[in-house]
Amino acid sequence: MTGEFNLFHAGYLLQGAVWTLLLAVIAILGGGVLGLVVAIGRVARPWPVRLLAGAYVQVIQGTPLLILMFIAFFGLSILGITLPALVAAGVALVLYSAAFLGEIWRGCFQAVPQAQHEAGAALGLRPFAILRLIVLPQAVRIAVPPTVGFLVQVVKNTSIASIVGFTELARAGQIVNNATFQPFLCFTIVAGIYFLLCYPLSCWARALERRLVPA
Amino acid sequence: MTHPTRRAALLTAGALLGAPGLVRAQAPDALARVRRDGRIRIAMDLGAPPFGMMDNRMQPTGSEVDTANLLVADLGVPLERVAVTSANRVPFLLTDRCDVVVSVFGITEERRRVIDFSIPYAAVASVVAGLPADTVRGFADLAGKRIAVTRGTTNDQELTRGIPRGTEIVRFEDDATSITAVASGQVDYFATAPALIEQVNQRRTNRPLEVKFTMRNFPYGVGLRQGEPALKAWLDGWVRTNVANGKLEEIFRRYHGLGLPPEVLEAARA
Repeated sequence: MTGEFNLFHAGYLLQGAVWTLLLAVIAILGGGVLGLVVAIGRVARPWPVRLLAGAYVQVIQGTPLLILMFIAFFGLSILGITLPALVAAGVALVLYSAAFLGEIWRGCFQAVPQAQHEAGAALGLRPFAILRLIVLPQAVRIAVPPTVGFLVQVVKNTSIASIVGFTELARAGQIVNNATFQPFLCFTIVAGIYFLLCYPLSCWARALERRLVPA
Repeated sequence: MTHPTRRAALLTAGALLGAPGLVRAQAPDALARVRRDGRIRIAMDLGAPPFGMMDNRMQPTGSEVDTANLLVADLGVPLERVAVTSANRVPFLLTDRCDVVVSVFGITEERRRVIDFSIPYAAVASVVAGLPADTVRGFADLAGKRIAVTRGTTNDQELTRGIPRGTEIVRFEDDATSITAVASGQVDYFATAPALIEQVNQRRTNRPLEVKFTMRNFPYGVGLRQGEPALKAWLDGWVRTNVANGKLEEIFRRYHGLGLPPEVLEAARA
C-alpha cells in the first residue's frame, strides 16, 4: 500500500517548496512596504497617526498568525468575501510582517542618537537632508541583522498556511510522510529545503552588513 | 485597529458582498448548483492512510478517494478535489469552500449541531492493539501501560474517556508519526484503526501487535451544509443503492480487509 521514497515524492516536496517561496516573497515585499508605512507612522509628528500606527502594531503583534489566517480565510467568508487560500494567507502574512518590520525599523531609526540630528541642524542642513544623509544610513546599518532574522522567521511561518488548505512545504512533507512512512528521510529533506530557502537570506545579510559598515 | 471611516467602509462592503452571498446560498439549492456548475467540490484529506493518501506516483488513492470517484460517477459531474485536514473540515463546509466532505467524517452529535450528514456509508473501528502475551480485554486492564494515539482523533477521544488512572497516553501529531513510534518499539500499545496495525506489523516483525479489544465503531457519512434537503435526499439514496449493490462494501474491503459493519448495513436498509 505504501512505497519507498521516490522521485515523485521529491517532486511533490519541491512543488510545496515553490508555494512556500511564493508566500515568503509576498510576505517580505508586501510586509516591507506596509512596514515602512507603519514605521513612519510610529515616529510621525501628528499624534493621531502615531496612535493609529501604535494600535496597529499592538493588535497584530498580540494576535497569533494562525488566528490572522483564520480570520482572513474563514472569517471574511462569513461576511461574504471569499478569498482564495493564497490571497488569504498572503494578506495575513503581509499584515503580520508589517507590524514586526515596522516596529524593528522604528527602533533602529530611534537608536540613532539625537545628537546626530542636532549636529546636522548645526551644519545648516534641512530636515530632509538630515534624514537622507545622516540618520537613515546609520539606521539602515543597525536594521539589517534584526530584519533578516525576522525574514528568516517569516519563511518558516509560511507553514501555518496549511490550516487554510494550502499545500506548502510543511504540509507536503506531512502528506509524503503519510504516503511513505519514512519520517526521518522525509522531514530531513523538508528541513534541508527550508535551510536552502533561508541560508541565502543570511548570506545576503552578511554581504549587506559588510557593504554598509565603513571600512 | 483601523480608522473609523475605513472600518465603516469595510463593514458596508461586507454587507453589500454578503447580501448576494446569502441569496446565492438559498436559491438554487446545492444539488441544483452542482448540476448547473457541472462540478462538485469534494473536501478530502490525503494525509490519512488508508482512507486518503498518495500512491508511489503521488496520485490520490485510498478508500475515500474511491468512494468520492464512485459518487461523482453516479452524479454525472466531474470531481473538484478540495484539500482539507481533519481539523478544518467543518469550517470549509460552513464557508462554502466545498459542497460535500468525503473524509472519514464521523457522525457525532457535536457536528450535527452545525452541519448535516448523509446516512453512514462505512464505519471505522477504534481498537486498542498490544502485545499478544498480555491479557488485555478492556479498559481496566490498561492501567500502568503506555498507549500511543494520534492527537485529536476519535481514537484519542475514546481512549481518554475510557482509561483508568495511572495509564499514560502518548499523543502524536499524525498517523505516520504514531506508526513510526510504535513500529520502532517506543510504545507497545496503540489505539487506532485496525488497518494501521498491519502497517505497524510490517515494520515490527520481531514483536508484532494484535488487536486486544474494540473501543467503538464510528459510522461516518458524507458531510453537507444544513438546509439542503434535495442534496441530502440524493446522498441518502446514493448510499442505499451502493450499499445494496455491494460497491461500497467492495471499496471498504479493498483497503481495510474486512466487510462493512452491521450498523452501516442496517442504516442503509432502514
